[in-house]
Amino acid sequence: MPYPGIRCALLTAAMATGLAAAPARAEDGVIRIGISLRMIVENGLKYGQMAKDELEAVNAEGGINGKKIEVILLDDECKPDKGIANVNRFIHQNKVHLVMGSVCSSVSMPQVDITTKEEVPQIVSSSTNADITKKGSAWVFRTSVSERFYASVHAKYLSENVGKKVAYLYTTDTAGIGFAKDYMAFMRRTYKVEPLYEAQMQESDLDFRAHLLKIKSLNPEVLAIGGQLDAIARIVQQSYEVGIPKKVRRVSASAASNAPVPELAGDAVVGLAFAAAFSCKDERPVAQAFVKMVQEKYKVRCPDHDFSQTYETAQLIKLALKNAKLELTDASLKADRAAIRDALANIRDYHGLAAGPINFCADPTPQCRDGNRTGILVEYTKGGKDYDMRVLARVGFDPDFGL
Amino acid sequence: MTADIVKNTEQRAGGGASPSRRGSVHPIVPWIVAWACLLPLPFLLTNAYTQYVVNVICINVILAVGLNIVKGFAGQVTVGHMALAAIGAYSSAVLSTKLGLPFWGAMPAAMLVTGLAGAIVGVPSFRLEGAYLALATLGLAEAVRIIISGTDWLGASLGYAGIPPPYLAGIALDDYRSYYYLAMPLALLGLYFAFSILSSDIGRALKALREDPLAAAASGVNVRKYKVTAFVLSALYAGCAGSLQAHMAPGFIHPNSYTITEMITLLLMVVFGGIGHIWGGVIGAIAVTLIDDLTRDYLQYRMVMFGAVIVLTVMFMPSGIGGLIDDVLVRRRFKAIRRRRAGVASVVAADDV
Repeated sequence: MPYPGIRCALLTAAMATGLAAAPARAEDGVIRIGISLRMIVENGLKYGQMAKDELEAVNAEGGINGKKIEVILLDDECKPDKGIANVNRFIHQNKVHLVMGSVCSSVSMPQVDITTKEEVPQIVSSSTNADITKKGSAWVFRTSVSERFYASVHAKYLSENVGKKVAYLYTTDTAGIGFAKDYMAFMRRTYKVEPLYEAQMQESDLDFRAHLLKIKSLNPEVLAIGGQLDAIARIVQQSYEVGIPKKVRRVSASAASNAPVPELAGDAVVGLAFAAAFSCKDERPVAQAFVKMVQEKYKVRCPDHDFSQTYETAQLIKLALKNAKLELTDASLKADRAAIRDALANIRDYHGLAAGPINFCADPTPQCRDGNRTGILVEYTKGGKDYDMRVLARVGFDPDFGL
Repeated sequence: MTADIVKNTEQRAGGGASPSRRGSVHPIVPWIVAWACLLPLPFLLTNAYTQYVVNVICINVILAVGLNIVKGFAGQVTVGHMALAAIGAYSSAVLSTKLGLPFWGAMPAAMLVTGLAGAIVGVPSFRLEGAYLALATLGLAEAVRIIISGTDWLGASLGYAGIPPPYLAGIALDDYRSYYYLAMPLALLGLYFAFSILSSDIGRALKALREDPLAAAASGVNVRKYKVTAFVLSALYAGCAGSLQAHMAPGFIHPNSYTITEMITLLLMVVFGGIGHIWGGVIGAIAVTLIDDLTRDYLQYRMVMFGAVIVLTVMFMPSGIGGLIDDVLVRRRFKAIRRRRAGVASVVAADDV
């Protein structure tokens, strides 16, 4: 095979021709929104589909200010490299006016770097890591509750009502580490109390009994469980198997709000408390109307807070688009993106599914961009397929809290 | 045997030119021409996203060609190649952010670290083969990912951010177009070295090892030495690719980018292109990266499509596209020989008359 170098050039050139021939989707007069979410999980596709349906629903009514919306929906699989590829594609190929997502903090973090550099507004719908808005980007907004608030919702309630002897068992994912570290930091800062026991496990671990037996021997008042869905379910279940009594309060990261946790853990989940942004047991009419819509349209009995936050983000986007003056031509792309950012920054006192109002402002600080500052503490009252829960407390915070 | 004829032709064309050509064209010349041909590529692409995809392809080419050295040339079954890439990426990131080394120092140092790790990965291959070696390398790969996930100063499960871009003559290569001028020459260089290795004594020893380790040992090949050499060479490629991943905008790496799923995708590149064919790695890297990109819109069906490609390739094209090309070339070669013989026979017959 002669001249391999030249063959390489020809091969790459042929590939480039293919790439160059790929149509760049950038139609004038249309508002383009790119959504990157983790979809290969329970209900993941439904979150994405709901966001797309909500945004594109305005097209049937003639659009927003006469402008149609086009949604490009991609799965990032909770992998940063996929998230980076998605957001690059949205910005450079699809020429979107706004990016929405992601669910995983480890994906949202590098995405924020790209949207900031390319000056494209991004609204983070579900990621909780506090650093996302601490980066100081003028282009980033968040509708989910930051972990700087979440950690204190349960920490404050449990230390005042249950006890301060806390054993921590968590997995090495972002949510697990964030939950445990923030809880520990709150206890140290507020009460000067050190952890009774602390152990870190792998996400894929199945057997937590060795640690739980040690925890049992220390007689804790609270067992703090950090991790993703299946890890939480397993730890809760195994805590009863090793004989940790029911009076030891189990508390978990917000991932416990997802349906698989009570379904996998069964009755062991009863009494498990977690901080969340929304509960399907919220009795407000707006919340019940939402729950009914999700039940009928997406066949989910009790929508979790990822549903509510995705829905809320879609509503906030529609509100911002309504208030933004958009020309929607190739030449005006930069100005349109800035107009949408400014319209988002002008949203004040928005009351929707969140437990409290959502407020944004223009400064690129966490105080301005962590719009949702109210968390609720929820407790499971029944496990299994027909699980049930109740709201224990609703806690609002000042914009500066936890900074 | 026939495939070997073609491979030998391929080797001569790559590493050292065939004797007939050696006098006229230096083997590096086609590569320089290739480099020159590929220079204007970013200006032909429609947007920065396609430039990003081309950069990913260049990195995947380095990874696939590196994996082909250990798997295709030396016949060692490894599923730890992505872990080596992770070691390269994190070494380069740490060296540039914590020690302040520029990219040009961090990348070679990261390659050395990865090469050392490759030597360690190679040790189990002294006693293990096939599925057992695969399991050992899988364990090592998972251990690397888990250690990174649990180490705070490596960013743990949050990821490692703030990795600076490379600078060339004071200019930051912080966009995908400028980065291409780093990734593309390195990919070409990697290919050139792969051809050179294949046509050298090391390459011949590795192939002997692949065909029959006992026979190779009986022929005087130091089996242990060449097994470790294969792993180290392969690791150097992985370290280079990892470093390129780390320094490309936005300068963020995460252990989730180095899981078994990524390893299977990389294996697919090599299998799809053709195990043991250097060009197979290139074709596989291009094809699989493009399939991955073009199927992104299909969400949950994407993995089904990907799985189907793997199953169909293994069923109907076990030697990959490289194998198909071999078949075509071998057939052409035999036809040419037959034509030549027929021509000679007719001339002889005519002379007899």
